[in-house]
Amino acid sequence: MKFRAKIVDAACLNQFTRVSNMIAKLAKTCTLRISPNKLNFILSDKLASGGVSMWCELEQENFFSEFQMEGVSAENNEIYLELTSENLSRALKTTQNARSLKIKLTNKHFPCLTISVELLSVSSSSRIVTHDIPITIIPRRLWKDLREPSVPDSDVSIYLPVLKTMRSVVEKMKNISNHLIIEANLNGDLNLKIETELVCITTHFKDLGNPPLASENTSQNRNPEEMAEVHIDIKKLLQFLAGQQVNPTKAICSPVHIALPS
Amino acid sequence: MLKCGMNGSQVKVFGKAIQALSRVSDELWLDPSEKGLALRSMNSSRSAYGCVLFSPVFFQHYQWSTSMKMNDNDRALNLNCKLGMKSILPIFRCLTSLERNVEKCKIFTSSDECKIVIQFFCRHGIKRTHNVCFQESQPLQVIFEKNMCTNTLMIQPRLLAEAIVLFTSSQEEVTLAVTPLNFCLKSSSEDSMDLTNSVYSEMSFGPDEFDFFQIGLDTEITFCFKELKGMLTFSEAIHVPISIHFDFPGKPMALSIDDMLLEANFILATLADDPSRASSPQSLCLSQTQKRSDMIRSNSKADKSGTSQTPEYISRKSAPKRLYPREAATKNSAGENCASGDNIFEVPESIVSDTEEGPGSPYLRKFSCMFFGAVSSDQQEHFNRPLDSLAIASDSDEDVING
Repeated sequence: MKFRAKIVDAACLNQFTRVSNMIAKLAKTCTLRISPNKLNFILSDKLASGGVSMWCELEQENFFSEFQMEGVSAENNEIYLELTSENLSRALKTTQNARSLKIKLTNKHFPCLTISVELLSVSSSSRIVTHDIPITIIPRRLWKDLREPSVPDSDVSIYLPVLKTMRSVVEKMKNISNHLIIEANLNGDLNLKIETELVCITTHFKDLGNPPLASENTSQNRNPEEMAEVHIDIKKLLQFLAGQQVNPTKAICSPVHIALPS
Repeated sequence: MLKCGMNGSQVKVFGKAIQALSRVSDELWLDPSEKGLALRSMNSSRSAYGCVLFSPVFFQHYQWSTSMKMNDNDRALNLNCKLGMKSILPIFRCLTSLERNVEKCKIFTSSDECKIVIQFFCRHGIKRTHNVCFQESQPLQVIFEKNMCTNTLMIQPRLLAEAIVLFTSSQEEVTLAVTPLNFCLKSSSEDSMDLTNSVYSEMSFGPDEFDFFQIGLDTEITFCFKELKGMLTFSEAIHVPISIHFDFPGKPMALSIDDMLLEANFILATLADDPSRASSPQSLCLSQTQKRSDMIRSNSKADKSGTSQTPEYISRKSAPKRLYPREAATKNSAGENCASGDNIFEVPESIVSDTEEGPGSPYLRKFSCMFFGAVSSDQQEHFNRPLDSLAIASDSDEDVING
């Protein structure tokens, strides 16, 4: 197994750092999947407890100027490894004025991801910072649990408002109730609602726009005004919103109404 | 009798010094002399020592008179004031607001009781008085010939601060590795059990990033991180570069700041290089002091270090013993210790006899064999104060508490 990659562009480095910071805020350990064209960060909290499950994909060409990998075997040309997300984000914290960043898989008494940063300094000589982050290699038999999740067919898909606004709204609501109801329709309306015995608070967002739906059937039969709703745990939503550092162009929310057999 | 006064910005520096020393231990000695006011601290395992000496010109006014305490023996010339950090640290807590509000600060001793009085004269006519009782205790002191170290670096604090950021606060020890072409600060790889979970980090600098870079010996030393951070914060506050003096593993290292107005020295024990070393701070001191006492006691035992530099070290270390008889006043740094003075007579015998003692000697006596760097640029000046302390350092274990 081999992996070597290099980032020289400051903007790419910045973005990569922000991705790792976001992951560090979401979960303690994360899985990194390395394949010839992509880098994936995978978090798989158990869905039953309402945890955040995340699949993050980075096209390696967009980030790395050099990228070489050799997977476990020729048929399975991938590497899955597990690391503590905070270790990675802390190691990348020192990349403010970096000239280049090199990542490689090494074995120093135990498997490590070595991050080597060359920093610009005021004098002519450059500073070299090295971090060896301990990792565990995930054996092939567990790879099936880490496959890309399929996004289930949803009734409604809607573009979210500015995440910062949404976050401050949800932040205020978390003190009142543990569960938040998200309602969305095909008209670009989104409601964030909490209901308690004493009070019911709703924040309305209008004219948000809807992305084109994958399945035509549902959109045809559906009344655009009809709201699809989901109940979620506020704390988990906040955890997700707090972690957002990557400034997405668009964030799409697709509430999936899961019907329980009666 | 001590009487000194400071303005707001001087109080801030004074407070920063106390905060830096609080990283060393929970006890602070206030040791005034005509050289200035020294704040000293030593940790319980005797593996770290800090001293900040404020010269009289640092203060707006400074007066130290010994007339009240004249006794027949020299030891009474000291104030012998030991304060708990818990009592003094909160007084100098919000330094930025102190700097803004305090117009004048007076520190003086009460003539009869064991009390230090700190008065802040603040804006709007507010006056704050703190009475801090102290324990009578001989100040401990460490003498370290930092000028005799083979490796000396001078670095801007901001640079070191950027390296410090790499390490987590859970990191207890760091390793410094130098060659004439390179300086590297890295996490210490002591406990192999912890390695699978912790990140190993290192940062290397080229020599041109330093204000002064002289390496006589390629070496790697490991020491406690906490005290380095304390010293670094202090030097950042007063914008003065830090000098690092060190030799080989096992020999203590010195971090020092030299300014016209004050001089700060932190002497830290380093992990010795023998295979039987353990990584806990306690044994850090043990192996370190044992090593030192071994070397001091007999030249032949120095072969343990196994480096080619040993003979050099021996000749340096045995020099102190020769210094005491006054005819050996050849070296500069020796000069300050051999200057003429009436009180020196007592010292040589006690020091020499200390080193001859068996392994049961308390740490204090072993520590007293290290030399302290020059306090002022005047090397030849009579320097009886620390020698007094050295001579009676063994007594400081018995804290005499006056009612």
